[in-house]
Amino acid sequence: MPVDTLITSENDTDIELDFAGDEDFQENHERQKHKGKRRNGDRPKNKRENQRRKRSSKSVQGIREESQSTTERRERRRRQRGKAEHETSGHQGNKGERDQTRVKTTKSKKNLKNEKTRKLEGKEDGEAQERSEKGKLKPVCAKNEEKIESGDQLKEKEKALGVKKKKKRKKVVETSSEPETSEESEDEEEVNNDGEVRPELLSPEELEKLKEAVDEKKKLIQSLRGKPWPMKQKLVTLRESQLFVEKYEGALGKGKGRKLYAYKVMMTKKWKKFQRDFENFKTACIPWEMKIKEIESHFGSSVASYFIFLRWMYGINMILFGLTFGLVMVPEALMGRPYGSIPRKTVPRAEEAGAMDFAVLWDFGGYAQYSVLFYGYYNNQRAIGWFKFRMPLSYFLVGVGTVAYSYMVVIRTMARNANESGVGDDNSFNFSWKMFTSWDYLIGNPETADNKFASITTSFKEAILEEQESRKDDNIHLTRFLRVLANFLVLCCLAGSGYLIYFVVRRSQKFALDGLENHTWWERNEVNMVMSLLGMFCPMLFDVISALENYHPRVALQWQLGRIFALFLGNLYTFIIALMDAINLKRKEEKVVKYNITMWEASLYNGTGSENSTAPPVTIHPADVPRGPCWETMVGQEFVRLIISDTMTTYITLLIGDFLRAVLVRFLNHCWCWDLEAGFPSYSEFDVSGNVLGLIFNQGMIWMGAFYAPCLPALNLLRLHVSMYLQCWAVMCCNVPQERVFKASGSNNFYMAMLLVILFLSTLPAIYTIVTIPPSFDCGPFSGKNRMFDVIQETLESDFPAWFSKVFSYASNPGLVLPFILLMVLAIYYLQSTSKSYREANVELKNKLQMQNEENKKKNKQAALKAQMDLEEARKSACQTAELQRNNNASVQRREDDEEIYNKNQRMYHVRNPSPSVGDREPHFPVRGPAPRNCHNGNHGNPRYLPGFHQQSEPRMYRVPSLERH
Amino acid sequence: MVSPAIALAFVPLLLTLIIKYRYYFVLFYRAVLVRIWKDCVTGLSREERAFQYVLTNSTPGDPDSILDAFDYWCSKVEFISNIGPKKGKILDRLLLEQSPLTVLELGAHCGYSTVRIARALPLGARLYSIEMDQGNAAIAEKIIRLAGFDDDTVELIVNPSDEVIPRLRSDYNLERLDFVFMDHWKKCYLPDLQLLEEYGLLGKGSMIVADNMLFPGAPKFLRYLRKCGLYEWKIHRAMLEYSRGIRDGMAELIYQGIK
Repeated sequence: MPVDTLITSENDTDIELDFAGDEDFQENHERQKHKGKRRNGDRPKNKRENQRRKRSSKSVQGIREESQSTTERRERRRRQRGKAEHETSGHQGNKGERDQTRVKTTKSKKNLKNEKTRKLEGKEDGEAQERSEKGKLKPVCAKNEEKIESGDQLKEKEKALGVKKKKKRKKVVETSSEPETSEESEDEEEVNNDGEVRPELLSPEELEKLKEAVDEKKKLIQSLRGKPWPMKQKLVTLRESQLFVEKYEGALGKGKGRKLYAYKVMMTKKWKKFQRDFENFKTACIPWEMKIKEIESHFGSSVASYFIFLRWMYGINMILFGLTFGLVMVPEALMGRPYGSIPRKTVPRAEEAGAMDFAVLWDFGGYAQYSVLFYGYYNNQRAIGWFKFRMPLSYFLVGVGTVAYSYMVVIRTMARNANESGVGDDNSFNFSWKMFTSWDYLIGNPETADNKFASITTSFKEAILEEQESRKDDNIHLTRFLRVLANFLVLCCLAGSGYLIYFVVRRSQKFALDGLENHTWWERNEVNMVMSLLGMFCPMLFDVISALENYHPRVALQWQLGRIFALFLGNLYTFIIALMDAINLKRKEEKVVKYNITMWEASLYNGTGSENSTAPPVTIHPADVPRGPCWETMVGQEFVRLIISDTMTTYITLLIGDFLRAVLVRFLNHCWCWDLEAGFPSYSEFDVSGNVLGLIFNQGMIWMGAFYAPCLPALNLLRLHVSMYLQCWAVMCCNVPQERVFKASGSNNFYMAMLLVILFLSTLPAIYTIVTIPPSFDCGPFSGKNRMFDVIQETLESDFPAWFSKVFSYASNPGLVLPFILLMVLAIYYLQSTSKSYREANVELKNKLQMQNEENKKKNKQAALKAQMDLEEARKSACQTAELQRNNNASVQRREDDEEIYNKNQRMYHVRNPSPSVGDREPHFPVRGPAPRNCHNGNHGNPRYLPGFHQQSEPRMYRVPSLERH
Repeated sequence: MVSPAIALAFVPLLLTLIIKYRYYFVLFYRAVLVRIWKDCVTGLSREERAFQYVLTNSTPGDPDSILDAFDYWCSKVEFISNIGPKKGKILDRLLLEQSPLTVLELGAHCGYSTVRIARALPLGARLYSIEMDQGNAAIAEKIIRLAGFDDDTVELIVNPSDEVIPRLRSDYNLERLDFVFMDHWKKCYLPDLQLLEEYGLLGKGSMIVADNMLFPGAPKFLRYLRKCGLYEWKIHRAMLEYSRGIRDGMAELIYQGIK
C-alpha cells in the first residue's frame, strides 16, 4: 500500500518542519487534512490515524535526511510565518491559509487518476501554494501596493484554474484578508485584472514569477489530456490557460530581448500552423484520399479496402504504362520508320477499304492493328534514330521488366502487410475481442452505424449460441453436411461453366474455320460474352450458396474469393488454351504463306528479268506485298478485345444492376404495394469480393497480353481511372451499406496473395510462348530471329566488348548457375526456419505473459479477499471489545454470564474467520480466561482505544504488512 | 438470334434469383395461390375458414388455446398475416411493461391480435378495436367473444380508422390513449398517426406499436418518424409471421410531445 506510506512520509516531514513548535500551523494543517478528508471521502479514518501516529512520533525523534528542497521550504515558510505574525493578527492569516487549503483540496480532489502521482502533485501544489502565500503576503510589506497587486492577481488567476466561480470566491477572500484596501482599490484591481499587464512596470522578481506561471500553464496545457476531469472543465481550463499564455508570453523578457522573444513565439506558432497545413496538404495530395475516406465512413472499411486496392493497382499500372509508353511506343513512333514505309507498317490492300470503319477500329483491326499499339508494327531494325536506340532489345527488356517489377512490388507489399498483421489469436478471447474491438471507428454515417450496431448484436447472439452449441455439440454434423453440400454445388457450378466455355470455344474455332464473315455478331463474340456473363452471374450463385455454410462473414468472404478465383482461373485458362490452338493454326498458315511468298518473289523477279536484265528492281507498294498472319498481333488483339468487353460488361452491370435498380426502387416506391427499399429488390450491396477479383484478373490479363500489345497498360490505366470515379459515384449513390459490416483488416494480404498467384499464372503462358514459339518472319521487333530472347545474345555479341560476352557465357554455364540456385534455396530455407522459430518464441512469450497475467489476477483477488476478511474480523472484534468493556464496567459480579456471552461470540468468531494471521497480532495480550481464547481476543484491553471510537483504522494498519508477507 | 450458349450463361442468374427469393415465392404461393384455390373450392372466405378451424379446434374461453389454434392454422394450412407468435411475444412484453388502461387497435382483422392484446391487459383496462371490413369484423367479434372477453373489455368499432379517430374523443369519451397498436393498411399508418396527434389523443409516454415495418413496409411512416422528432422510437427486428426467411420489424414509438 504505497498510498499509506506516502502519506505518512509526507506528514512526517511536515511534522519535522514544524517541530520547532508552531501550534498555529499545526492547526491549519489539521484543518487542511480535515478538508481533504471530507473531499477524498474514501479513506478518512486512515488520515486521522496517520495524524495520530504523527503526534505520537513527535516525541520519538526519527533519524531522517533532509533534502535541500525541504530545508528551503522550511525556511521560506518560517519567513512567511514571521511576516504574517508581524503584519496582522493570526486570524487573517488563517483565513488566507484556509482559502489556500481549499484550493489545495480542490486541486487534489481532481487528481484521482493515480494515487502516487496524486501525492506528488499534492506536494507540488503545496509548493505553489507557498509561493502564492509569499506573493500574497508581500504586498502589505511593500509600499507600491498597486503594482504588485496586479502580480498578486496574476497568481490568483493562476490558482483559479479558470473556473469563474472560484475566481469570485477568491476576490471575496482577497477583500476579507485585506480590509484596509478601499473600494476604489478594488475597482482598480479589477481594471488591472481585465486590462493588460504592463511588463515594464514589473520588477524582475515579478517577471520571474510571471515566467514561472506561464511555464506552469504550458505544462498544464500539455498534461491536460491525461487528466481525469470532465470534458467541460478541461475545455474551460484549456481556453483559460491558452489565453493566459498568449497574453503574458509576449510580456516576458526585456527591451530587445522581449521583442526577440515575442518574435520567437510568433514564429513557433506560425511554424506549427504551417506544419498542420502541410499535413492537410499532404493528405490532399494523396489521390482520391478524401473520396475513399468518405466511402469508408459510409460503408465500413471492407468496401474502402477495395478502393484502396484499386488505387494501389492504379499506381502500379502507372509505372507499367510509363515503362511501355516511354521506352517502346514513343521511340518507335518518333524515331522508327513512318507508317507506310514497309509492309508491316501498312494496311494491306484487301483491308484498306474498311480500315477506317468504326466497327473495324472497335475490334482493333484496320489502322489500329497497324500502329504502335500492337507487336506487329515494330520493325526489327537493330538501332533506330540518331542516337541509336536499340529498339528490339528495349522491347524485350521492357516486357521482362514490367513483370519483374510487378513481382517485386507484390512481394514487398505482402511482406509489409505480414509485418503489420502480426500474430493474432482470435479464438482465445472471443467475447473480449467482440466487446472491445468490434466497433469500426471509421464509420460516420448513421445508417451504417445502425447496421454495424445490429451486426454486433447479432454477432454477440451468434457467438453465445455458438458457445452453447459447442458444448452441446449436436448440430455440427448438420453444419458439416451443409458445408460439404455447398462445396459440391459450387464444384458442379464450376464444372458447368467450364464446360460451357469449352463448348463455346470449340464452336468459335469452327466459325473461324468457316470464316467469321458468315456469322452474326452474337456468334462472333460468343466467347467473350459467355465468359463475361458467367463471370458476372456465377459469383452471385456462389454467394447464395455460401449462405448455407454459415461462416463468419470474413471467412465467408475468403471462401467466396477462392471460389470466384477458381471460376475466373478456369475461364482464363480455357481462353488461353483456345488461343494456343489459334496460334498453332496461324503458324500453319504462316508456313504456307512463307512458301507462297518465295514463289511470288521468284515469279516477280523472273518476270522482270526475262524482259530486261539491267532494269532497276520493281517497286511494289508495301500494301500489295503478301504477308504472314502474324500470330503475335492476333494474341494482342484478343487480349485487348477481352479487356474492352470486360470493362464494358462491368460498366453496364454497374449502370443496369446498380443505378437503374436504384432509380426504380427509389421512384417506384411511392406507388408500389410493398416497400421496395426495405423489402424485395432493395438497393444493391457493394460486392467486395467480385470487384476485387475482377480487378485482379484484369491485371492478370494485362500482364499476359502486355508483351504482344504495348497499348494494354495504357488501356488499363484508362479503365482504372474511369472505374475509380464511376464506382465511387455508384457506391455513394446507389448502394446501401452491407447488412453485416465487418472490418477487412485480415483480407488485404489475401488479395495480395491472390494477385501473386495470378501474376505467376499469367506470366506462365507468356513466358511459354516467348520461349517455345519462334516469332513470325515478317512482323515485330524479333522477326528473322529463331527465338525472341536471341536479342540478348545479339546485343552481347555486337554491343559489348568481347570479354563481357565471355564472362556472361561463363556465368550462364550450368556449372555456375546450379550451385547458385542451390545456395539460394538454402538461404531461403534458413530464413524460413529462423522466422518459424521466431514465431514460436513469440507465441511462447505471449502465453507466458498471459499466464503471468492470470496469476497476478488470482493473487490480487486472493489478497483482496483476505483484506476484506481481516477488515470484517477486526470490526467484529472491536464491537465485541466495546460490548465486553461495557459489560465489565457495569457488573463485575456477573462475570460468568459475561464469559458465556464471550464464548458464544468467540465461537461465532471462529466460524467466520479461520484466518490465522489475525491470531498473532497481539500475542502479549493480558490473560483473561483460558489461553486459547485469548489469542483471538481482539483489542479488548488496549488502553489507547475508546470503545466504539476506533473501529476500522487499527486493522487497516495491520493489513499492510500482512499483505506483504504473502 | 442469340445463341443458346449465351442463353445458358443466364442459368446461374436464374438460379440465384430463385434461391435468394425462395421465401417470397413460398409466401406468394401460400398467401395468394392457395387462397384463390381454396376460395374457389370451398366458397368461403379465408377468414371464415380460419374461424371454422378455430371453432372446432380450441377451448372456448381460453385465449391461449385460440391463439394456438390460429398459429397452427396460419403456419400449416393457409396464410393470414396476423402478428404471429414471435412478434406477439414482443407485443406482450411491451404491454406488460406499459400496463395501459386505454388501448386502441387499428385493424382487428380476424381478432388474433385483439385477443392477444386483451389477454395481456391489466384489470379495468379497455381496448378499442377498429376494423373497416364488415365480414372480418363479424368474425373478429365472434373470436373475441369466444375467447371470453366481454363488451367492457373489448369494444369493436366497425368503420374506417380515419373516420373513427376524429370521433373517439366525442363518441367514446377518450381523453388519452396509453397504447396504440397499428396493423391495418400500411398506407394508413402515417395519416392515422397524424390524426392521432392532431386530435390530441396522445399524451407524453403513450406508446404506439406498428407492425410490418419492413415487409410489406411503410417507408413514409418511417421517414416521418425520423424527421418529426416527436417520438422516441426503435425497431424490433424479427421475421415475418409464419415464415422464416423474410425479415420484418415492429416499430415501438413513445410519444414525447413537443419540447
